[in-house]
Amino acid sequence: MSLIIPCPHCGARPVQEFVYGEIPVVPDDLTDPDARDVDRAFMRANPEGPTVERWFHAYGCRRWLTLERDTHNDEIFSAE
Amino acid sequence: MNEFMERQVKLTWHEPKASYDVVIVGGGGHGLSTAYHLATRHGITNVAVLERKYIGGGNSGRNTTVIRANYGIPEAVRFYQRSVELYQRLEEETGRWIMHERKGLLWLAHTEAGVRAERARARVNTAFGAETLFVTPGEIKEIAPEVDLTGGGQWPVLGGSYHPQGATARHDRVNWALAEGAMERGVHIHQRTAVTDLLKEGDRVTGVMTDKGPIHAGAVVSAVGGHVTALGRMAGLRLPIRTHPLQAFVTNHYALDFHPIVASMSLLFYASQTARGEMLIGAEIDPQPSYSYRSGHHFLQSCAFRAMTLLPFLRRLRILRQWTGVCDMSPDYSPIMGKTGVENFYITTGWGTWGFKAIPAGGEQMAELIATGETPELIAPFALDRFARDRTLADRGSAGTH
Amino acid sequence: MPTQSQSSLIVDDEPIHFDPGDTLLTALLKADRHPTGGGCLCLGGDCPHCVATVDGVAYVRTCQTPARPGMTVERENIRGYPALPADRRPGPVAPAQNLHCDVVVIGQGQAGRTAAADARADGKTVITLDAQAGQEVIGIYPGPLVVARTDAATLHVHPRDEIVIATGAAETQPVAPGNQLAGIVTARAADELAAAGVNLGKVVAVGAPPETIDVEHASGELIRFEGDARVTAVIVRDEAGVERRHACDTVAVGLGFYPRDMLARMSGDFPVRVVGDAATEARIPPCPLAGTVCHCTGVAVEDLDFIWAQGFHEMELVKRATLAGTGTCQGGACIPHLRSFLADRGAELQPAFTARPVTRQLTIGEVSAGAFHRPTPRTPLDDIHRELGAQMDRMGGWWRPWQYSQVPDEEYWAVRTGVSLGDVSTLGKMQVSGPDAQELLERLYPTKVSTIKPGRSRYVLLLNEAGYVLDDGLICCDSASRYTLTFTSGGSTTAELWVRDWADSWGLDVRILNQTMALAAINVTGPRAGELLARAGFQAPLPYMGHTEATVAGVTCRVFRLSFTGELSYELHHAAAEADILWRRLMALGAELGVKPHGLQALTRLRLEKGHILIGQDTDYDATPRRINHEWAVKLDKPDFVGRRAVIRTNKIPLDRQLVGLETALPAPQEGDLIYCDGQYAGYITSSSPSPVLGKAVMLGWLELFDGQLPDAVTVNGRPARRVPPHFYDPDSRRARIEVTPRANAAQPLPELTPRSGRGVHGTGLARLAATRIVARPAALSSAAWPDDLIVLPVAPDEALLLGRNAPDELVARVGDPHALAIGDTSFVAAELTPEAAEAIFQRTCEWEIPPDRPAFAQGALADIPVKLWLEAERVLLIAPAPFATDVVERLL
Repeated sequence: MSLIIPCPHCGARPVQEFVYGEIPVVPDDLTDPDARDVDRAFMRANPEGPTVERWFHAYGCRRWLTLERDTHNDEIFSAE
Repeated sequence: MNEFMERQVKLTWHEPKASYDVVIVGGGGHGLSTAYHLATRHGITNVAVLERKYIGGGNSGRNTTVIRANYGIPEAVRFYQRSVELYQRLEEETGRWIMHERKGLLWLAHTEAGVRAERARARVNTAFGAETLFVTPGEIKEIAPEVDLTGGGQWPVLGGSYHPQGATARHDRVNWALAEGAMERGVHIHQRTAVTDLLKEGDRVTGVMTDKGPIHAGAVVSAVGGHVTALGRMAGLRLPIRTHPLQAFVTNHYALDFHPIVASMSLLFYASQTARGEMLIGAEIDPQPSYSYRSGHHFLQSCAFRAMTLLPFLRRLRILRQWTGVCDMSPDYSPIMGKTGVENFYITTGWGTWGFKAIPAGGEQMAELIATGETPELIAPFALDRFARDRTLADRGSAGTH
Repeated sequence: MPTQSQSSLIVDDEPIHFDPGDTLLTALLKADRHPTGGGCLCLGGDCPHCVATVDGVAYVRTCQTPARPGMTVERENIRGYPALPADRRPGPVAPAQNLHCDVVVIGQGQAGRTAAADARADGKTVITLDAQAGQEVIGIYPGPLVVARTDAATLHVHPRDEIVIATGAAETQPVAPGNQLAGIVTARAADELAAAGVNLGKVVAVGAPPETIDVEHASGELIRFEGDARVTAVIVRDEAGVERRHACDTVAVGLGFYPRDMLARMSGDFPVRVVGDAATEARIPPCPLAGTVCHCTGVAVEDLDFIWAQGFHEMELVKRATLAGTGTCQGGACIPHLRSFLADRGAELQPAFTARPVTRQLTIGEVSAGAFHRPTPRTPLDDIHRELGAQMDRMGGWWRPWQYSQVPDEEYWAVRTGVSLGDVSTLGKMQVSGPDAQELLERLYPTKVSTIKPGRSRYVLLLNEAGYVLDDGLICCDSASRYTLTFTSGGSTTAELWVRDWADSWGLDVRILNQTMALAAINVTGPRAGELLARAGFQAPLPYMGHTEATVAGVTCRVFRLSFTGELSYELHHAAAEADILWRRLMALGAELGVKPHGLQALTRLRLEKGHILIGQDTDYDATPRRINHEWAVKLDKPDFVGRRAVIRTNKIPLDRQLVGLETALPAPQEGDLIYCDGQYAGYITSSSPSPVLGKAVMLGWLELFDGQLPDAVTVNGRPARRVPPHFYDPDSRRARIEVTPRANAAQPLPELTPRSGRGVHGTGLARLAATRIVARPAALSSAAWPDDLIVLPVAPDEALLLGRNAPDELVARVGDPHALAIGDTSFVAAELTPEAAEAIFQRTCEWEIPPDRPAFAQGALADIPVKLWLEAERVLLIAPAPFATDVVERLL
């Protein structure tokens, strides 16, 4: 890990400046409300491949950005 | 030859059969241990272990080999203490040298909150069968004179806990001893065999599809590390798992002179000296999920610096190699073992940074579950449905880094 | 001590002479000392045969190290593994040097020189790294980042466009019996050693011969080397199958080349161009028949045969089982032979095992270059705590006073019977405004926010989606569109992330201003707190859980009436710059009342007597409101809030354990002690303290339910204890809620204080900046016209830091956003630097690229400190949070 995160406001910075945040996605086919609640609280898609996630730039603007990253090889596609 | 070359284990390979009583997916420590215990404890030998690369090539061969039971909650202390004891007997049982060595583990605290946590650890450990003592800075200096109690003037050591049974063993040798013991009794282990799907009849799992064809099974056990989410998906399961890289490094070889395992609550590193004389140092997981095995510079730089702060003798040691594994982290930092709600499909996962120390007990308990159909009491709290049942096993402070 | 000759070094405690231009290796060989006793020397840094301990650092390749006067060399393998150094104190650490360029070229042989020249001709900035010049590249990392060791510094090179690898090729090591003898060198090494003046004696060449020296050719297949310690003959088998013996002093072996491809193999996806010999395809040598394959670990061909027969066939398994390739050269010498062996036995050429850093070695001290501990911030009152002799502790991420007084319970009794000051500056503090401010809070908090009236506050829990308690704090209503939130010290960072994330994802129209550092806070607590505030000029009747703006002891404050200690308390929030003066005035004004400061130890006891929980100490990951007995703080009849569904869901599940109050006789049990009920484990103590006022021990702890019931009688550490409501002291909170009658004319003149000029923040000499921070809609902010004398730092799209004036009201009026938030922010310090001085700091500490334009604004981490930079042509302003002032001086200036 020495990911470089392109902060849209501050510029490219090492990953240590950021805090990771995930975007939980509950599958549509899960219909029971309690099951959806449990899924949202605990279950993870954990994809090996492209994923959309949030990063908080703690050492810079202190705002969240949304990043598209491939968890297979840490390639970064976009940030906004 | 060197004195550490493997001279005992003989591995015997077979052609895959069309069906087995039990198929275990994942040829790491937990998969091999489950197979070993099925064969040795329950006489169940019509078993295949499927490994997509080579045995012990994942985290089982990348971990930093610490064995300990000094966890923070009773359920975990009991379980890991069982594993500590099985490890102590494993050489005798298998007749194989796994280089098991009792070293004693020091966990250093640098804040009042840390002191409180280590005191609490000592209490709950002792009550549930794992010996752990609260130690003062003076006692720490006696156990590990190498520690700079001032923490470089920045991270003074205020106290800590000492776990005398903390030990290490050679990870590869553990894997191979279990593999050989299983093979000797008829278990098949197939390397370079990747599971691509599960075979199902209705909601029941009936086998696996591999890149070499289908294999039918009475029971399928997921013992994979790193890709358990994908396997769970094949079974229709959502898992509370996030996969994170974990890195470590070793130095060159030096004369054996550093006996304990030393870890820090605040600086989040741990260090021990291997039987071959390397200083072996690790730290916390990378914060973001990733399946990338690429090693990073920031980890090495930061971890080396933190370790050197408490162990100044490290400064002039030359680094040999760093590496990365990927860890399956659960939300409560405890493993997940047992039934899944999908018939004939069992799971052992969430081994985070603590999988190696659980290999004997994890395999033993999973084997009992598969053989008897009943979840053993020791692992019942670790069931997958604990999240939905509001019975999580929060133990982040003990998961630590090693 | 005898003076060292200008040209001698110490080898195994004996001085030896060296010549100008000698490496340690050539000096050693001239003195007839082989560094490791034997093995084929390559002089390329690829083999393990020349390593030695140099100036206390073991495993240094002597072939890569120029000899310098007075160096000490200890030979290693002669005596077994080198000893661990005995250092017990920190030693010097190499500095880092960060360099940015378009192209980095690794290796400066012919191919590397050409690549560098071509890139320069294309107008690229180029950095070259060459092991021969003492720049040993240890790895290519994601980033991309090229790290190189030099004697002076550890280089962190950040290329923008390309990495060119021109590392050449290593010469293949001979595998044959006797290959551990001294006197065996590669062909290229033979040329270099001869040129350096090493006497090689009679040289016999096997394979391709050296180019510059006279040799006897031994043509044919290498069979073995003969000799005792040093080679005396080499045996080859000629084409006719006849073994021929060539007597010699030195054997030069030219068995071909193997590309140095480690760096290329570890480079990953970043564009890497491999040129020259490093790009050639690996030529696999013939399968070795006998002799040592891996010298580092002593693995011979017979060992490989053995392990193959034992069923170890995968390259990685063979490596792990024999340990071949895991020594100090990391397979540099043996990988080609291992691959050849396995291809021969298994009929398949397996790839080399994974290339991992580090490719060339460096010490832990050298790799640490540029690393810093995460700094621990200090509050504006830190100097005062230390002057008072407080024992400081890191708590909740800050340095905080644990206790001041050595007199037992003195701080405690000051609160219970008199008046006391506590530094609570570390509390998380945030303002939220905007049309949707109330809506945001309604969705975030489990309380009915709309029922909090302006001027009032409410204790609140913050839940996550699992229904677990994240944090607690206050919501203070300023108006229906403006609220002040407080969080715990340890939870405030997470809370800011939490609030901002939800505000973003709900797309609500709110402004969020984090004022944790900008505002200091002093808790004035004790039955005489009202008296002290009256002396300080605070006359307003403020009800319990009310808040108001007021001037206290001459300082503008927001005064919150609340109570954590159980006594009458006022929390004074005020500008960071005024904390020192406010504290000292209150101490002076309260002298007659016996005012004393209290630290965390007293505070945690005081709150325990009231049963107030400490998030993180008394709660765990899965603390639901029900488990911590705080269901009263959760209004499930609200339409929705984060965690509501989870709370409803988990409430349907039988309760397993609860955080309860316990009491027992003195002495108090320890935190972490276990609770038993009828001999069964029943939980553990999270907080425990003797209660001086109650004369017994009071505790909070997790207690399990038995048959759905909480036991009343338990034992704690073997002693009987009773479950009781956790409100041990003043259960009706009469003391906290006491009505305070305003005391007219009680105000005292402001005391004279000794000025503290010139010391700067925390004695650093750095002064607090006068600044204003404004949060507003991005469009309104960017179109605001600011006075010319201000420097405007756009710290976020919706936030500006205006340097030069502490005038929030005046400046926010220039922003066309009625919901804009502004604060006079005195929580930054600044250093003005010359561009040269700034550049030197950046080289040491900055892993990212400073923008080239002037003027420019940049922000990010320097030495793990969050800094803001205002870069002008003639000067650079380095701006950092004042809580890190000490770190700024120690690490940066």
